[in-house]
Amino acid sequence: MGTTTIGTVVRRTAAPRRRRNYVRRYWMFTIPAAMVVAAVIVFPWLFTLFMSVHDWKVSGNVYFVGIANYVHLATDARFLWAVARTLYFTTAAVVLPVIIGIWAAVCFARKFRLRGPARTLFIMPMMATPVAIALVWTMMFHPQLGVLNYLLSCVGLPPSAWVYSASTVIPTLVMVETWQWTPLVMLIVLGGISSLPIDPYEAAVIDGATPWQMFRYITLPLVWPFIVVASVMRVIDALKAFDTIFVITNGGPGTSSETINMLLYQTAFGYYNLGYASAMVVVFFILIMGLSLIVLKTRQQELTL
Amino acid sequence: MIGRRSLLASTAAALAMPAIIRQAGAQSTFDWKRFKGQTITVSLTKNPRADNLQAHQREFEELTGIKVLSEQMPEQQQRPKMVMELASGNPSFDVTHYSLHVSKRVVGVGHWLEDLRPYLANPQLTFPDYDWADMSAGALRAATQPDGRVDSLPVETDIWLVYYNKQIFADRGLSFPQTFDEMLATARKINDPSKGIYGFVGRGVKNANVPVWTSLLLGQDQETVTPDGTKLLTDTPAAIWAGEMYKSLLRETAPAGVVGFNWNECQTSFMQGKIGMWMDGVGFTPPLLDPKVSKIVDHVGFGLMPAGPKAHFCPVFTDAVGIPMKSKAKEAAYLYCQWATSKQMALNMVNMGGGASPRVSTYNEPALMQHSPFGQEWLKTLLASVKIARPGLPEIVPVTEFRDVFGIALTNMIGGADPATELRKATETFAPVLQQSLKT
Amino acid sequence: MTDMRGEREKKPAATREAAHIAGVNHYRFRRYIGEAGVYASIIILISPSILFFLWMLSLSLKNEADNTAYPPVFIPWPPTLDNFIDVFAKNDFLTYTINSVIVSFSATGLALLFGVPAAYGIAKTRAVKSAVLILVARVTPGLSYLIPLFLMFQWLGMLGTLGPLVITHLVITVPIVVWVMIGYFEGLPVALEESALVDGATIWQAFRYVSIPLARPGIMVATILSFIFSWNNFIFGVVLAGRTTRTLPVAVYNVLTFEQISWGPLAAAALVVTAPVLLLTLFMQKEIVAGLTAGVKT
Repeated sequence: MGTTTIGTVVRRTAAPRRRRNYVRRYWMFTIPAAMVVAAVIVFPWLFTLFMSVHDWKVSGNVYFVGIANYVHLATDARFLWAVARTLYFTTAAVVLPVIIGIWAAVCFARKFRLRGPARTLFIMPMMATPVAIALVWTMMFHPQLGVLNYLLSCVGLPPSAWVYSASTVIPTLVMVETWQWTPLVMLIVLGGISSLPIDPYEAAVIDGATPWQMFRYITLPLVWPFIVVASVMRVIDALKAFDTIFVITNGGPGTSSETINMLLYQTAFGYYNLGYASAMVVVFFILIMGLSLIVLKTRQQELTL
Repeated sequence: MIGRRSLLASTAAALAMPAIIRQAGAQSTFDWKRFKGQTITVSLTKNPRADNLQAHQREFEELTGIKVLSEQMPEQQQRPKMVMELASGNPSFDVTHYSLHVSKRVVGVGHWLEDLRPYLANPQLTFPDYDWADMSAGALRAATQPDGRVDSLPVETDIWLVYYNKQIFADRGLSFPQTFDEMLATARKINDPSKGIYGFVGRGVKNANVPVWTSLLLGQDQETVTPDGTKLLTDTPAAIWAGEMYKSLLRETAPAGVVGFNWNECQTSFMQGKIGMWMDGVGFTPPLLDPKVSKIVDHVGFGLMPAGPKAHFCPVFTDAVGIPMKSKAKEAAYLYCQWATSKQMALNMVNMGGGASPRVSTYNEPALMQHSPFGQEWLKTLLASVKIARPGLPEIVPVTEFRDVFGIALTNMIGGADPATELRKATETFAPVLQQSLKT
Repeated sequence: MTDMRGEREKKPAATREAAHIAGVNHYRFRRYIGEAGVYASIIILISPSILFFLWMLSLSLKNEADNTAYPPVFIPWPPTLDNFIDVFAKNDFLTYTINSVIVSFSATGLALLFGVPAAYGIAKTRAVKSAVLILVARVTPGLSYLIPLFLMFQWLGMLGTLGPLVITHLVITVPIVVWVMIGYFEGLPVALEESALVDGATIWQAFRYVSIPLARPGIMVATILSFIFSWNNFIFGVVLAGRTTRTLPVAVYNVLTFEQISWGPLAAAALVVTAPVLLLTLFMQKEIVAGLTAGVKT
C-alpha cells in the first residue's frame, strides 16, 4: 500500500500536504454511516416531501396538488390550536426541568455520602421505558381509585381532575415530563459544573461572597453554555413528546392535550390522510429547527457577562 | 340466588350436545377436510367475540385439519394496522375480524376484501346447514357494500342497552325508566356525589362517545346523515336535543373524570357498585356477572334502551370477518369464516355473553329460551332490542374522523360548552371532509 | 468580582482582618446550614423517583381486590406473584423479550460498527458541521420515518421479520453513538496516533490498534446509551411490528385488557419491560453519567 513511502514523504514535506492526504482518507471512515443515514434518514425525508405535495389517501387515488396541503394547514383551526398547545406545553416542559435541573446539579456537585446511589435513584425516571412509566402514571391519576387523589385527601386538599379536565391536563402532563427528564438537564449541567476551575471560588470565599453570589456571578455564567445545550435538547424533546401523551391521554379530553405530534399520528394513522400528514411533518420540522436555533443563539449573548 | 356461573356451565353443556349431532349430520355430505394441512393466519380484535373464536379454535382445527394462527389486538392498533396492510397489498393475515361500523366503507372503496357471493353460492365450499338467509336483515345490510358485493360475514350485531344496578334502584324505590327524560330524572334522583354514588355513566372519551349520543338521537327518529350518506344531519334541533341530553347526563349525574372514560372504565366503575345506570353494548355483560371481578354480581339489571320523544330504537354495531383478496389460502380462510359465523358458533357466542347473534334462528333456539345464560331479563331485553335495532353510526368512508370531530364536540359539552354551538362548529368542520370522501 | 476587590482595598487592615474572621465564621455557619440544605434538597429531589417506583412495585404485587380498594393498600400482605405469572402465561412475553433483545443488540452493534469510524472520521477532519446531520436526525419527528420506511419494507417483502425494526432503530442508535464518540475522539491525545503513523502504520491501523483501545470507555458508554434508548422505543414498534415480531414496549401497551381494571398485571408487565434498563442504570450509572456529559463539550 506504500504506507512507508507516504510516511517518509510526510516527514520530509511541509504540513499542508500531509493534512490533505489524511483528510481524504479520514472521510472514508464516514462512508458506511453515511450510507445508513442516506437509507434511513435521507430517503424517508425525500419521500415525505414528495408525499406532502400530493393528496395521498390510503384507500383512494393519489393526486398531485402542489402546495395545497400547506395552504390548508395555515387555515386549519385544529392544527393552529395544536401549535398553540405545543408551544404552551413545551415552554413549561423546558423551563421547569431546566430550573430544577440546575438546582439539582448544584446539589449533586457537592460531595456527600451516598452521592452515587442518590444519583442513580435520581436518573432512574429518565432511563425507564416511557410507555411503562406512562401506564403507571395513568393508574395513579384515576379520579376515584388512584393513589394521587388519595394523597391529596390526606393533606386536606380536594381531589384533582388530573388528566380528565381540559384545564388541568397539560399542567399534569408537564409534571410527568418534568419528573422524567429533569435528570437529563441535571447531568448535562453537572458535567459543566464539574469541569469548572476552583480559583474563582477560592477568591470569592476569601472576599466573603455568599453562596448565592458565587452561584450568580461565577457558576451561572461559566456553566451557561451547558445550560443552553440542555435547554435545546429539552426544547426538541418536548416539542416531539409522544409516548407519554399517547398512552396517558391520547390527545384528550377532546383535543385539550393534542399537540402537533399527536395530531400528526391521528391524521396519518386514524384518517389515513398521508399527504396532509406529510405536509404537517415538514412544517413541524421547520418549527423545531427554528426554535432550537433561537435558543442556541442565546449561547453567544450570555457569555458576555 | 342461583349462582350464575353454575347456570352458565350447565347451559353450555346442554347446548353443546346438539352441536355435535348437527355437525355430524352436515359432515356426511360436505367435505370439511378438503384443505387439510394448510395454515391460515387470523387477525382478531380484542373483545368477547374473539375470545369465543379462540376458545373453540381447536374444534375447527380438528374438523378441517387446517392450522389456525390467531391473535387478538386492541382495537386502536388492530384497526389502522389492518387498513395499512390491506392498502399495501401484502396483508399478513388470511382472515380479518373487524368492526363494520368503523372500517366497512374504507375497505369497500379500496376493494381489498374478497367478494364472497360466489363462495356462498358454491355448494362445494359452503356447508348445507350454513343458511345465509338466516342472517337478519340488518346484518345482511351491514355486510353488503353499496355496490352489492358481500365482502364480509357478520359475526355479531352488538345492540345497546342500559345496564342498571337493581340494589340502588330498590333502595330508592325506583323503577327502570321508559323514556330518556325519565332516565335523566332517575339519574338525578340517584346521584349523590357526597356518598360517591352516581346516577349514570357512559363513554366520555372522544371518538368512543359518539354512540351514546346517537342512541339518544335515535329516540328522535333521526340518524346522523341522510339515508344516501351525502348530507350531515348533525346540527338539526333533534341533534341538539340529543346533545343537551348527553351533556346533562354526563355532566350532572356521572362520576368525575368521565370525560376520559371509554367502555372499560365505565364497566369498571359500574362493577364497583356505585353507579345507577350504564348505557353501552350488550357484549360487555360477562364480567359484570363474574364474582371474581364484579361487586354487584347479584344486582345487575338489563334494561331496554328507553324511548325518545319521537321513536323507540336502539343502535346496533356489527362485527364481521373478511378475507383479503391477496390472501394465498382463500378457500381455507373461507371455511374458517363460515365456521365462525355458523349457527353453532353464534349460539356459543350468545351463551358466553359475547353479544347478540346476527342470525334469526338463534333466538328460536329452545335451549337458549329456557336456560338463558344470564337470566331471563337479559334474554328478554336482548330479544326486544333486536326488534328495534337501527345502525348507530353513519356508513361513510371517513367514519373515524367523524367520530373524532363529533366526539370532541361531545367531550367539550361535558366540560360545559353549549351543545348547539359545538355541534354547529363540528358540522362545519366535518362537512368538507364528507364532501371530499364522496368524490373518490 | 472586580467590584468586591476594590471595596476590600478601601478599608484599613485591622478592620479587614476582623471582618475576614467574622466573614469566615459567618461563612462556616452558612455552610452548615447550606450542608443541611443540600441534604434536604437531595431528599426532595429523589423522593418522587423513589416513591413512584415503590408504588409501581406495590401495584404489581397486589391482587385484584387490593388494587381496586380505596383507600389504597400500600403494602400488600401477603404479596402475590400471580400478576407476574399472569403476564408470562397469558401473553407471549418471552418471545417479546427475545425480540427486544435481538433488536436492541443488533441496532446497537450495527451502530457501533458504522458510527465509531464515522465519529473518528468527523473528529479528525474537524467537520463538526456534518454533525448537524445528527441534529436533523434528532429533530425529525419519529412518525415521519415510519410511513416511507413502512412502504419500503413492504415493497422489499421484509415485513414480518425483525429486520425492519433493526434498521429503523438505527435512526436512534447511530446518532447517539456518533454524538458520544465525537466528544471522546476529540479529547484523545494525538501523540500516540501520530507516533504510530510515523512508525509506518496506515490510518486504519492507527485507528484500530491505538484509538479504539484508548476510547474504550467512550465505546462502552455509547453502547449502554444506545441500547437503553433502543430498548425503550415504542413508536416504531407500534407500526412496524407484527404478531411475532413485537417488542416489549408495544406488548405492554397491548396488555390494556378490556375486562376490568387489571392494574396488577399491567403494573407487573410494565415492571418486566423496564426492569432491564433500570438494572443497567443501577450497575452502570457512572458510565452513563460520563457518556451523557461527554458529547456536550462541542
